[in-house]
Amino acid sequence: MSLLRLDEVHTFIGQYHILEGVSLDVPAGDIVALLGRNGAGKTTTLKTILGLTPARKGTVQLDGQDITLRRSFDIANMGIGYVPEHRAIFADLSVEENLRIAERNKGDLAEREELIFGLFPDLKRLIRLPGTNLSGGQQQMLAVARALVPDNRLLLIDEPSEGLAPVIIEQMMEAITRLSEHSTVLLVEQNFIVAGRLAQHYVIIEEGKSVKAGSMADLVDDDETIKRYLGAA
Amino acid sequence: MTTVRDGTTLQSSVRRWLHHRRGLLIATGLMVLFPFVVSLVVDGQGISAVFANDEGNARFLQGLAIEIFILALYALSYDLILGVTGLLSFGHAMFFAVGAYTFGIMLKTAELAWPTALLVVLAVAILQALLFGVVLPRVKGIAFALITLGIASMFWIVIQSSDLSDYAGAEIGLQGIPAPARFLDSTNERFVFYLITLAILVMVYMLYTRIADSPLGKVANAIRDNEDRALMLGFNTFWFKLVVLVIASITAALAGTIHTIHQPIVTPNVASLGYTVTALLVILIGGVGTISGAIVGAAVFRLLQYYLDRWFGGSSDLLIGAAYVLLVLYLPYGIVGTWRVKRLQIADGRKRLAALFRS
Repeated sequence: MSLLRLDEVHTFIGQYHILEGVSLDVPAGDIVALLGRNGAGKTTTLKTILGLTPARKGTVQLDGQDITLRRSFDIANMGIGYVPEHRAIFADLSVEENLRIAERNKGDLAEREELIFGLFPDLKRLIRLPGTNLSGGQQQMLAVARALVPDNRLLLIDEPSEGLAPVIIEQMMEAITRLSEHSTVLLVEQNFIVAGRLAQHYVIIEEGKSVKAGSMADLVDDDETIKRYLGAA
Repeated sequence: MTTVRDGTTLQSSVRRWLHHRRGLLIATGLMVLFPFVVSLVVDGQGISAVFANDEGNARFLQGLAIEIFILALYALSYDLILGVTGLLSFGHAMFFAVGAYTFGIMLKTAELAWPTALLVVLAVAILQALLFGVVLPRVKGIAFALITLGIASMFWIVIQSSDLSDYAGAEIGLQGIPAPARFLDSTNERFVFYLITLAILVMVYMLYTRIADSPLGKVANAIRDNEDRALMLGFNTFWFKLVVLVIASITAALAGTIHTIHQPIVTPNVASLGYTVTALLVILIGGVGTISGAIVGAAVFRLLQYYLDRWFGGSSDLLIGAAYVLLVLYLPYGIVGTWRVKRLQIADGRKRLAALFRS
């Protein structure tokens, strides 16, 4: 049973036809990796799901409900959390304020404190510091932690390992594995090793089209597909 | 003893509040004493001269302080929309001018009592914020700045039109506005009016710091940092921006109203782009987004303007420009902003200095 389904989605940014037919299925409870080269349309796919760059053709369904033309904040309130790329925290707010602002209902943070600080013990120590004073890795942790505060059914995570030190990447992977016990994850990831270890399924996007999808276990052994679409071995 | 919350007593929460607000309380106390000190020390007159509103430096400096309070109120409202929420509006002078003109016309032409006139100002202020709000969901950033500039420019042209000269006085502006009440009269009751204006500024300042610390203020900060992210947390950012605009519009209109009572004339200058730039300069000097910077900036701005003009006359504009360049170069976050950044470094340096002397 798929939680999220995109069917032949076309998205334009200004006059540019960015997505030219993206279809994908995200089964409830799993991690799906969205793969593809730079500029293939991975981030735009996430933004289309969220209504930030709405689809002009095709449909986006969440749990069987059509959300294609809903407004962004409505879509977010249906239980989708978004971790944008480049450590998207609120720089002027403290760690605590960054987390508290994500509460959908009062007490969300208190309820998930244990989970969040269990995953990222650093954040508890830095709770009063403004976001801008955190290191890159800590900011990325905060961005992921923020998506965990409300009760989200689906998390969209964009490039969580980008620009992080290997030891922090390990910690981030551990966190994503643990949080996938609570919600379904659609992951954009350039680092194929990271994606391969985390996800059960993959979807490859090439020049705005979804061209291949399947089980991650099959892709890991499929050198030809990896070389052809991802340019790595 | 009255128990308030979490078992704390009323006394202890009052004490905490006094401690938290001690800077503000001291500053307010000093401002109340200020006219008496000037009267005693500079004018060589007694305390009674202040109550009698006698001529002298005490009276003049109260007038200058009232102008600073008005400018501070106006700049506070601009800091809320630009500094706290990140909305760049080039039409802010209109928010002020609408208050000034509406109150003046209501007193002079409509001959309303001042409480009624004030209610009309309130209604008009809310309406104009809604007018700006109409374009809010459609445009962002520079486009919003240009559209607000367009709306304000239309207003500036309309109030100078000869067709409306019976009401707005065309290029000359509103003159001969009667004093609204005996105690709202800057000419005959200078000290009382000084205290009223000071009280209004202190109350608005406390309200604004409360707003900045409230959930509304935090979401406004989030919108300033990145509106898409705020949307993705499920906030309908439009309503937050609209509420901020309404609060700022009411505040600026209140500043305009006090301006009308104090002067008591209103010229089209207060609706010009130049007056929006004044608000921008004031919060740049004080520190964008710091709230208290609007008050500090207003004082520095008005005093620089007044004393440079008095000492250097015609060439003062050049010096004012040079002063701004220096302020921006050496205090990039404004006076309050830079102080907040450097405070920790200064405390650290003081500790090291003390250690040096001890050894």
